[in-house]
Amino acid sequence: MPILTVENVHKTYRLGRIDIPVLHGVNLSLEAGKIVAILGASGSGKSTLLHLIGGLDRPDASPKGTITFDGRDVGRFSAGELDSYRNLDVGFVFQFYHLLAELSVLDNVLLGLMIRHGRLGYLARAKECRERARGLLERVGLSHRLKHRPAELSGGERQRVAIARALVTKPRLLLADEPTGNLDQATGGGVLDLLLDLRAADGAAMVIVTHDPNTAARADEVVRLADGRVVGR
Amino acid sequence: MYQSLLTRRYLMSKVMPLLASVAVMLCSALVIVTWSVMGGFLAMLIGTGRTMIGDVSISWPNIGFPHYQDLRERLEADPMVSASAPVIQAYGMVALPNGITRVITIRGVDGPSFARVTKFEETLWWQAITEPMAKDHDGRDPRYQLRDSPGFNRLKDSGLNLTRTNLDTGEDEGGVVMGIEMSGFNLREAEGFYTPKVVERRMPDGTIKTVDTFLPASGKVGITVLPLDRAGNPLESLTKKLPVANEFRSGVYEIDRNIALVRLDVLQNMLRMNAGLRVRKDADRAAGTVAVDPSTGLESFVKPTTDQLIEDPARVTDILIRGTGKLGTGEEAERLRARVREIYEEFARAHPGEVPDSFDIEISTWEDNNRFMIEAVKKETALVLVLFAFMSIVAVFLVLAIFWSMISEKTKDIGILRALGASRGGIVWLWVRYGLAIGLVGGVAGLVLAYTIVWNINPIHEWMGQQLNIVIWDPRIYYFTRIPSVVNPMHALYAVSGFVISSAVGALLPAIRAAMLHPVKALRFE
Repeated sequence: MPILTVENVHKTYRLGRIDIPVLHGVNLSLEAGKIVAILGASGSGKSTLLHLIGGLDRPDASPKGTITFDGRDVGRFSAGELDSYRNLDVGFVFQFYHLLAELSVLDNVLLGLMIRHGRLGYLARAKECRERARGLLERVGLSHRLKHRPAELSGGERQRVAIARALVTKPRLLLADEPTGNLDQATGGGVLDLLLDLRAADGAAMVIVTHDPNTAARADEVVRLADGRVVGR
Repeated sequence: MYQSLLTRRYLMSKVMPLLASVAVMLCSALVIVTWSVMGGFLAMLIGTGRTMIGDVSISWPNIGFPHYQDLRERLEADPMVSASAPVIQAYGMVALPNGITRVITIRGVDGPSFARVTKFEETLWWQAITEPMAKDHDGRDPRYQLRDSPGFNRLKDSGLNLTRTNLDTGEDEGGVVMGIEMSGFNLREAEGFYTPKVVERRMPDGTIKTVDTFLPASGKVGITVLPLDRAGNPLESLTKKLPVANEFRSGVYEIDRNIALVRLDVLQNMLRMNAGLRVRKDADRAAGTVAVDPSTGLESFVKPTTDQLIEDPARVTDILIRGTGKLGTGEEAERLRARVREIYEEFARAHPGEVPDSFDIEISTWEDNNRFMIEAVKKETALVLVLFAFMSIVAVFLVLAIFWSMISEKTKDIGILRALGASRGGIVWLWVRYGLAIGLVGGVAGLVLAYTIVWNINPIHEWMGQQLNIVIWDPRIYYFTRIPSVVNPMHALYAVSGFVISSAVGALLPAIRAAMLHPVKALRFE
């Protein structure tokens, strides 16, 4: 049974009095532990689809579409359930890293765990959480930069921190939005390799959004998106 | 957990929250300093107001009541009473050596007992001091300069006993101790001490004569009073020239200008309140009166016989009482008042028909007697605090404005946190906590600043006067030589708490706005 199912999902944005339809009845499914790549040009709606899958936004109520994760309809989650879903089940890797500038590398990675456990819970598990974060940072090759701020890192290093942050909570679904889009080819290649290796080690399913066919080719399945519609697989 | 981490980092890495903290610091310091100074002013007023009246007083105005020594013995036998003093309070006139005549309050006091109940001895101005006043850096105070003079040193005892030695006869004469502002002959210097004025007068022959205005040396004043009979009817006024034994300074201008103290027995005699004989009520109505012979028209005094006379004990109008221990609060004075009333009731039962009934006699605390002055200052303090409460509102809007701007700057951070699973409530708490932190940092810094200013307010004021020629507190105008300042820890706590809460309230609206941001829009925010 697929871990993730997207059925007939529509999404329309409203700008003032103008409705802008972005997704038109998108369907896809993903098996546990597998990778699906969403390939499309800029403006094709692929990031929007990723946001809906990740619970950052909700699909249109009409026409009715569903996003099901592990048998649960994500579109019907309450606000609290969405927050829990994003923290417990999902890990995001963004094109522009989205690290908090005032926090150190280690603290950026630990954020998800702090949110999960709360103050008392985190303090009770602080050692264990810090060990996991350090371990991940070591795997991404940044064990010597724990106290540095993101501004002191290169683009590739920042993305590696973002990958560690996404994986620290052991998500079952990893969502990567153009993870190498802001990196040069060589750096991007290394980051992609790292991402895929770590994902494989943890066994998470992954949806990767890209405009690069070479990146898409590394997935188990490729879904082509154009103008908000699936045009090929 | 992430909220405390981010609060610390945001607070230390940005200039805007530091500026907000500085604003809160200045606001809270201003409130604490003002509250402290006005609180100190009130405390000084209360303290000086109590200077001349004791803790509780028993009063039967104008006519007075007898057997007061018995009442004093009963009072002083009680453990709650440490001392009592008989006083007569009357109204009269003073004729000064320069010809000015003014209406004043005259109090007849027994110096030593009065000094045990009040701070009379400390208020006597013309007595030697071993150290000049704080601002008198050059030691120009006459009391300091004449501290080794035997003649000057006698003035203290003279004042305490309200007597002055007649240099011709060598006898001690009952005298008057005037308030130091009464005569107008004393010049108050900026340093806070007094010097006798140099007065020059043109004589009839055209020459200029320098007049000695230091009254305790050899001056006399005329005291005029209007005695009353036991029914309260006025008798013929009486004027007596009394030597000035000393002058007192209570610290309250109205008292120092309008009150003169006369030795008790002297005033009793003047007011016909001394011990004597009077005609019995049931005696012949003609006894003790002036009769007119209808045939000759001659007036003659009808002398009462011995059996028609009874003793008329001396009377006073007030007994001032000092309680044991400190009676700094109204509640403690109330307890003393209740006990004094019980003692008076026993006294009245022992002298039925001769003394006022316990229901009628006035028994007042120091607070009652100064109520007008104290209430005025309390109301002024309350008004200032209400105005300063508006500063808390200013702090609210200040933090609100700064946070509203900061939310824009931190929109992406909010989106990241939401993407990681932070709830809306968590985002709200992050920003409210941030506001609390700004309020706390600013409030505590303001507290430190306020304490520093208040503890050093007089040196700061002196520096401003010397270096910048700015004199805000002129002792010639405000009558206290030093700026009063009492830092009440509870008031400081209220002020700091108020600003902490105001900062949190100011952060609330921006916090809610932050929480309501759409995560996707927040992440895409440029």
